[in-house]
Amino acid sequence: MRVTVCFYSWFKELTGCARIEETLPPGSTVEVLLGRMVARFPKLAGLERSTLVAVGLDYQGRDCVLKEGDAVSLFPPVQGG
Amino acid sequence: MKRQLTITTEPIDEGTLLAQRSISSRIGAAVYFLGIVRGSEGGANISALEYEAFQRMVEHQIGLLFDEMEKRWPIESVRLVHRIGVIKVSEPSLWVEVVAPHRGEAFAACQWLIDGLKRMAPIWKKPLGLEGEVPRGE
Repeated sequence: MRVTVCFYSWFKELTGCARIEETLPPGSTVEVLLGRMVARFPKLAGLERSTLVAVGLDYQGRDCVLKEGDAVSLFPPVQGG
Repeated sequence: MKRQLTITTEPIDEGTLLAQRSISSRIGAAVYFLGIVRGSEGGANISALEYEAFQRMVEHQIGLLFDEMEKRWPIESVRLVHRIGVIKVSEPSLWVEVVAPHRGEAFAACQWLIDGLKRMAPIWKKPLGLEGEVPRGE
């Protein structure tokens, strides 16, 4: 299945892009996707624990099962205000 | 509860916002909060902050906060303006108004909302130094 992955803030600088497509085995979780992203973008290594994940517009945990066509956003801790 | 959320690159115009205030006869308190860009970040002097937002998610997450706020307190209205883009030191980045029958609930709801925004709204800031960009704390 294919999902879209978007990066925000300085994650864009670490990956060199704002958006990519990734193909995952059906039933893959956010955890699996994060592993793929670290393998693809080694500069993300070590940031997995602090990385926030949203699927669509809602935060999700590492055990969230992804679906075909999901839009997954990965970003560092937020700093509004 | 009336609600208004504005994410804008324009400067926050407090005078215009105050002139647009709407309050019913049952109201006894209006609490305001202004978040201002400080001149230092992580021990370094800066000239500005550049704010970036995942705007659709910010709108969704603050909408959820408004929903919860309405359940917790008898708020008549809330307005929240967050400026994004480059904001110079001493200029406001955030303006919040909470209107309620009594000051206790207005203060509590305003603080709760701002704490929630800082925890949930996908907004990031990048310090800009007096002579260009300074490193961000990663």
